[in-house]
Amino acid sequence: MVRSDIIRGHLDSIILRLILEKDRYGYEISQEISVRTNNRFQIKEATLYAVFQRLEKKEVIEAYYGDVSHGGKRKYYRITSLGKAYLSELVKEWTEVKEIIDLFMEGLE
Amino acid sequence: MKKIKHHIDELFKDMPRNNETEMVKQEIIENLEEKVFYLIEQGKEEEDAINKAIVEFGDIDDLKKELGVKAPEKKSMAKLNLEFSLWGSGLITAFFIFINLYYTPNTIWAIYPIFAILWWPLSMYFVWSRKKWSE
Repeated sequence: MVRSDIIRGHLDSIILRLILEKDRYGYEISQEISVRTNNRFQIKEATLYAVFQRLEKKEVIEAYYGDVSHGGKRKYYRITSLGKAYLSELVKEWTEVKEIIDLFMEGLE
Repeated sequence: MKKIKHHIDELFKDMPRNNETEMVKQEIIENLEEKVFYLIEQGKEEEDAINKAIVEFGDIDDLKKELGVKAPEKKSMAKLNLEFSLWGSGLITAFFIFINLYYTPNTIWAIYPIFAILWWPLSMYFVWSRKKWSE
């Protein structure tokens, strides 16, 4: 499994991307991350909810209550228009970072 | 399922009790239960599923920070310290001046202990303003 502190700084992007596709709830997101990365990266639930809190405060996502599941009501998240703008900024930034790091990492074993 | 609720209660016990934390707590319990149901569907024993969900939950420190556990408390502490030192040093200064004027009106000695005591509010003022600047 990948060292989580490297991915940490990009959790916003990962989660925003998943919510951008469709509105999702907490467990669905952690599940989706494991599936897509083939279990190479698993997000800890505690971290996930901290990110939700932060993103909600920044008003890039908003929550609403959806259908009832096994236990109680599911809390779904949707991305706001501010969130979409923020995500596209993150994408730009990431492309930039990737290019810069590649300058030093490419061609090495 | 009680075990999950109990575990989360335990993790949340030193967080401020307000609407926000309560909502987050409910959300977490809801999602953990969902995870447990999923794991059971996958063929796990209920006991195993619950343990797995709890172990994988991880460290709650980040969440504490987001929900603002300690930050506001410390800020008001510095201010309280400053207020206390101002009142305290004020009273002590008044006391020395009174003793000096009442018993030995011809010799001014109270200025020395007053100078010494002034370091108290000064240092507290320093702590307070440093805190203010760093915010």
